[in-house]
Amino acid sequence: MENQVTRRNFLNSMAVGAAVAVPAATYFAGPRPAHAAIKAKGNIPDKPFKTGHITFLTGPASLIGEPGRKGHLLAAEEINAEGGLLGKRKIETIIADEAAGTDANVKELRRMKLSENIDMFTGVISSGNTPALGPVAEELGVLTLFNDGCTDFLFDKAVPKPKYVFRVTNIQSADGVTSAVGAAKAWPQAKRIGSIQPDYSYGRNVHEHFTLAFQKLVPGATVVSEAWPKLGATDFTPHITKLLSDKPEVLICGLWGGDYVAFYKQALRYGLFDKMKVATTLAFGGQPHAIGKDHPEGVLAGCHANYFFTHPAKGRWPINDSFVERYYKRWNEYPSFEADGAYSALYLLKAAVEKANLLVGGWPEDDVIISLLEGMGMDVPAGYIYIRPDNHQGYKDTVIGMTKNDPKYDFPVWDPNSIITIPIRDITAPPNWPKPGTSHNESTAAANWLKTTWLT
Amino acid sequence: MANNASRTGPSMLLILACVIPILVMLVALPKFVDTYQTQLLTYGLVFAIAALGFNLLLGYTGLLSFGHSAYFGLGAYSAAFMVRYLGIGSMELFILGGLLITGLVTAAFGYICVRHTRIFFGILTLALSQVLWTLAYKFFWVTGGTDGLRVAFGNLTLLGGLIDFKGRDAYQSFTQYYYYYVLFLFCVCTVLMWVIVHSPFGKALQAIRDNETRAQFLGVRIRHYRWLAFLISGSFTGLAGILWVPLNGLVTPDILYWPFSGEIVFMTVLGGFRTFTGPIVGAVVFNYLKVYAVASTAYWQLLLGIVLMVLVLALPTGIVGMIARIAGKFTGRA
Repeated sequence: MENQVTRRNFLNSMAVGAAVAVPAATYFAGPRPAHAAIKAKGNIPDKPFKTGHITFLTGPASLIGEPGRKGHLLAAEEINAEGGLLGKRKIETIIADEAAGTDANVKELRRMKLSENIDMFTGVISSGNTPALGPVAEELGVLTLFNDGCTDFLFDKAVPKPKYVFRVTNIQSADGVTSAVGAAKAWPQAKRIGSIQPDYSYGRNVHEHFTLAFQKLVPGATVVSEAWPKLGATDFTPHITKLLSDKPEVLICGLWGGDYVAFYKQALRYGLFDKMKVATTLAFGGQPHAIGKDHPEGVLAGCHANYFFTHPAKGRWPINDSFVERYYKRWNEYPSFEADGAYSALYLLKAAVEKANLLVGGWPEDDVIISLLEGMGMDVPAGYIYIRPDNHQGYKDTVIGMTKNDPKYDFPVWDPNSIITIPIRDITAPPNWPKPGTSHNESTAAANWLKTTWLT
Repeated sequence: MANNASRTGPSMLLILACVIPILVMLVALPKFVDTYQTQLLTYGLVFAIAALGFNLLLGYTGLLSFGHSAYFGLGAYSAAFMVRYLGIGSMELFILGGLLITGLVTAAFGYICVRHTRIFFGILTLALSQVLWTLAYKFFWVTGGTDGLRVAFGNLTLLGGLIDFKGRDAYQSFTQYYYYYVLFLFCVCTVLMWVIVHSPFGKALQAIRDNETRAQFLGVRIRHYRWLAFLISGSFTGLAGILWVPLNGLVTPDILYWPFSGEIVFMTVLGGFRTFTGPIVGAVVFNYLKVYAVASTAYWQLLLGIVLMVLVLALPTGIVGMIARIAGKFTGRA
């Protein structure tokens, strides 16, 4: 059982503090010094490289969506300052609002490809939208780097054998598992689980994977309360009173964007945070300043398993230091995981294009770019990302920490002593693990893997 | 005869003179525009069928339904279920099965709704459509929930298996063939609806709309007629839902949710619900309007809202009503 992880060696492998150092890579997400600029081989056209970017620009989800747009634009501006991709092709971006709804997004992607003739598609926040847009991107044959919409369902079922579609943020099941590991480490005595989740696939995914993992780490834990507010809800009081009356010891909260902000403010009035321990998957998922100083300390604040700008800490990972600095200078705010994802997506593309150019010369065909993206690893602000060739999914070690107020910032950040990072390979299904609907009927491959191998 | 024509609308000759050039244009269009524009127009025609059906209730029977998303969604989900659970790929079977299911549910819903008029009718239709939405949303292990159900055109066949879409440029050939398929059904629906609203049955509906009491004195079975109108209306919208599925490739609960009902109302009002062609024009225009609003600005909702406001305040008769008025002034007829 090479895929088996035991409780003991798993807990031993959890690195506390900074991410484990990775081998130096030639390519990283950020501008290169002028002397290190790559000379392109062959004749490169100076036609602009058009990208389409769909993200939430309006509504409560824009707290998450806006940083995606900003990260993308920052990377595009930096690459354009070097003359563009391969020094010739400037990146142009067409942006559209994801809040128009799934069907309108499908139409918009088709418009971008068929009418605007984009070279690459990126963005997309909601895990309700990637399973709709992924197959359309495959039909249209448009190179796609989703920066989120991280549902396992996309590569488990909607596009089981992707050719054009990639995704750079972590896989969704890692969210629930990461919060479970953090919660089990912080509150190993908590046996009564409460759960409040947005009522759609993401919420169900968090609920399921958190519960699965937590029950393995804290034997005897049971779910005593569930609340399922609608995505985009603004009134959480009926759900809060229900949770309070069921008296859970630990609450897992998968609310995100404006939903989470509204929830925590209403929960404060009821003293919810004093009556139970709270673990979240996306409290630190939106723009960092969206959370106020009134947010309680000691809440396990998830960042979609991916990235929060104070980690890796200053001085420990120069790529992050300079990214945070440049991002702040450009947008006058701090980056979120979505900013890191969208930013890294463009640099992944850039690296693939440059490598492909060295191989074949001239502007490389999509097929060559794709073959280089498959299996590519790169240093990005969050740490090290690896694009698994079997499912085109980007994997990073996951990270989570406790909220703490720091006088340096107008919003809570992670308590540096509480941060844990988890090697992603220890909490997700390995390559070519049977997908749902083949030898098992779990909701995700990860759930099946967790159930059958993890900590047994 | 001339007197008669001016009372019941334009003469047959005039209608043909207008319709034939438009039809020729629609048939020839895919030769001149790209794949994207062709599929966008296909969407427009599909919505036109839905709005046409909707307007039988609003324009001709005087009942404002705020729940037509239900019948659109029923058609769409019926087709998606046939793909998912029965492995069917024939468009004709989708239409047969989908119309059967939509018809049955519409008949039941109509039976409940036509007992009331005005706001009560509107609320009932809205409530029933939200029941369906909740079912689609909550029973995710059957319906796919927010992930929806996928209907890939790759497994689709048209005309009983005569046309399928495999191999290279499948998307382009699908768009072409499917456009003509929808155009044909659109023409059939339009003619059918024209016949319905100009038949004695259609006249009875208009009599009910204009004066319920008087119609009752004339011996019109009001509730029965309303129910029939509801059934026909829902079935047209259901057919549109069925046709929409392969085009969109995915069915999610969004199309059962009330804002989509609102969009159908919007389309009809945009074109003008007092005219036969209003909903058709409105649906096609609305489709372009929304697509290009979303593509051009983050404030697309604001843009659509302003259009709706201007429409209600300045053009209560819609696009077609306005054109008719201008044309009327031009030819000197009132």
